[in-house]
Amino acid sequence: MDAAHVHNGHGAHGHRNTGLMRWVTTTNHKDIGTLYLVFSLTMFFIGGLLALGIRAELFQPGLQFWQPEFFNQLTTMHGLIMVFGAIMPAFVGFANWQIPMMIGAPDMAFARMNNWSFWLLPPAALLLVASFFVPGGATAAGWTLYAPLSTQMGPGMDLAIFALHIMGASSIMGSINIITTILNMRAPGMTLMKMPLFVWTWLITAYLLIAVMPVLAGAITMLLTDRHFGTNFFNAAGGGDPVLFQHIFWFFGHPEVYIMILPGFGIVSQIVPTFSRKPLFGYSSMVYATASIAILSFIVWAHHMFTVGMPAATQLFFMYATMLIAVPTGVKVFNWIATMWKGSLTFETPMLFACGFIFVFSIGGFTGLVLAITPVDIQLQDTYYVVAHFHYVLVAGSLFALFAGAYYWLPKWTGHLYDERLGKWHFWLSMIFFNVTFFPMHFAGLAGMPRRVPDYALQFADFNMISSIGAFGFGLAQLIFVYAIVKCVRGGEKAKDKTWEGAEGLEWQVPSPAPYHTWETPPVIR
Amino acid sequence: MVVSDPAADPRKATPLQVAKAVLSAFIGIRRRAAHERDLVTLTPVQVIVAGVVAAVIFVLSLVLLVRFITS
Repeated sequence: MDAAHVHNGHGAHGHRNTGLMRWVTTTNHKDIGTLYLVFSLTMFFIGGLLALGIRAELFQPGLQFWQPEFFNQLTTMHGLIMVFGAIMPAFVGFANWQIPMMIGAPDMAFARMNNWSFWLLPPAALLLVASFFVPGGATAAGWTLYAPLSTQMGPGMDLAIFALHIMGASSIMGSINIITTILNMRAPGMTLMKMPLFVWTWLITAYLLIAVMPVLAGAITMLLTDRHFGTNFFNAAGGGDPVLFQHIFWFFGHPEVYIMILPGFGIVSQIVPTFSRKPLFGYSSMVYATASIAILSFIVWAHHMFTVGMPAATQLFFMYATMLIAVPTGVKVFNWIATMWKGSLTFETPMLFACGFIFVFSIGGFTGLVLAITPVDIQLQDTYYVVAHFHYVLVAGSLFALFAGAYYWLPKWTGHLYDERLGKWHFWLSMIFFNVTFFPMHFAGLAGMPRRVPDYALQFADFNMISSIGAFGFGLAQLIFVYAIVKCVRGGEKAKDKTWEGAEGLEWQVPSPAPYHTWETPPVIR
Repeated sequence: MVVSDPAADPRKATPLQVAKAVLSAFIGIRRRAAHERDLVTLTPVQVIVAGVVAAVIFVLSLVLLVRFITS
């Protein structure tokens, strides 16, 4: 702690670029964390605009605004941008800011590679966005890029493949950095089982990323060679098999689902104890459950493709394995609630989002169990029920956890308290409009409305109108978030070093705002 | 947090102890006393090997169950 005060930032470390070059050349984990967070927020709004394009078209049956081809581009790019441009980089931003501060390290292990992994992202994002303007437009094969659709599309598909390659490389480098930092740079005395849970979840997530991003790279490289270099991996006429693409994609895709939620579990596991003023219930079981979920995530992939045809025994295997993931996930939800039990609870915005997360994510978990049942899934495959399910886990799960974490650590990052009133408005409007948007989709799906269609039968009109109203409300509510952040960065009540009275951890022992360099002399953990 | 038990020989977990630790991790529940004993006696290599073996056994047992049901 003393070291952090003594080296209060700037002068002690010689020349530092200013202006734009500071951000281009920075190797500081806090700068890079900020870059990641700003980037992901920007992509979140681009992806959100695409979503509003989708919902505007679906407000009424019939074609209102877009041709079907462009509608498919909207759904595809919404998915790709939100998954690879918004959610994943946002969590890496949190990792960059928080992991070194939380384990008592002065920076990330590979500071220059850290810069490189961030600066790969903007060109990849440019490729994705620019693909709308090439002949034929952006890829419209769905975010899953299934062959043979993806082997037939125009140059927009090639841009998407290139963008995904670059983003994958960025993710792999980020993961190497995170693993090395956590394993080698912890403060003396901080054993693995004393690490904050956010650090644990990121350690496990980073291993998942390293395991599966190369699999995605392999799949899209095979796509690329099928498209341009005469191979037939996925072309049945040439002896290949389009279903092979689905297996490879989902072997990446399912762990990817956990990559997008495990750090969220970590954030919630930091916040719930703070605002319950109690230690986390069952710390070690949380670590074990996270590891267990990570292992199970590799043996459930074919539940995404029950309808493509597989032996009954295989369907049963993937159904059982999928349902068993509910056990460690249930342990986690139980532990969060047990932490709150008899705690001295207060509901500031981070806690509101964390509680919202637990409640709404659990609904997404339950609909996941419904979909895991093979015969049910065969009915519901590619309907709005699936769309509702994965938005419950990705929006109310990952995104709400990100909001919770942002409000929780903003005072540490900026040195100012955010406007609690704005935070509460943001939470309640998000919570209400989220459910207005996505809850009716369950009913539309159960009634048989297929996903990825610009037009639909008249009986789905009411549900879709409600969803569209909710979506625009949800989108507008996010402007409150931006305003709250800008207001907090520009000023406000001075935050204490330990902003939250119930907070534990090394990050609360450094000043607010956290100085440019922290923990140059590592703290000693007893 | 690390409790040293003079009676326990450190770094000498039996395979059964490792199996118990890993199996309880699969469910996500572990008694605190047992967990603290694990911290002293288990090595990372033991945990990783046992975890991989347990995952293989888990998959094989599911396969067996499925075969039994579909036969």
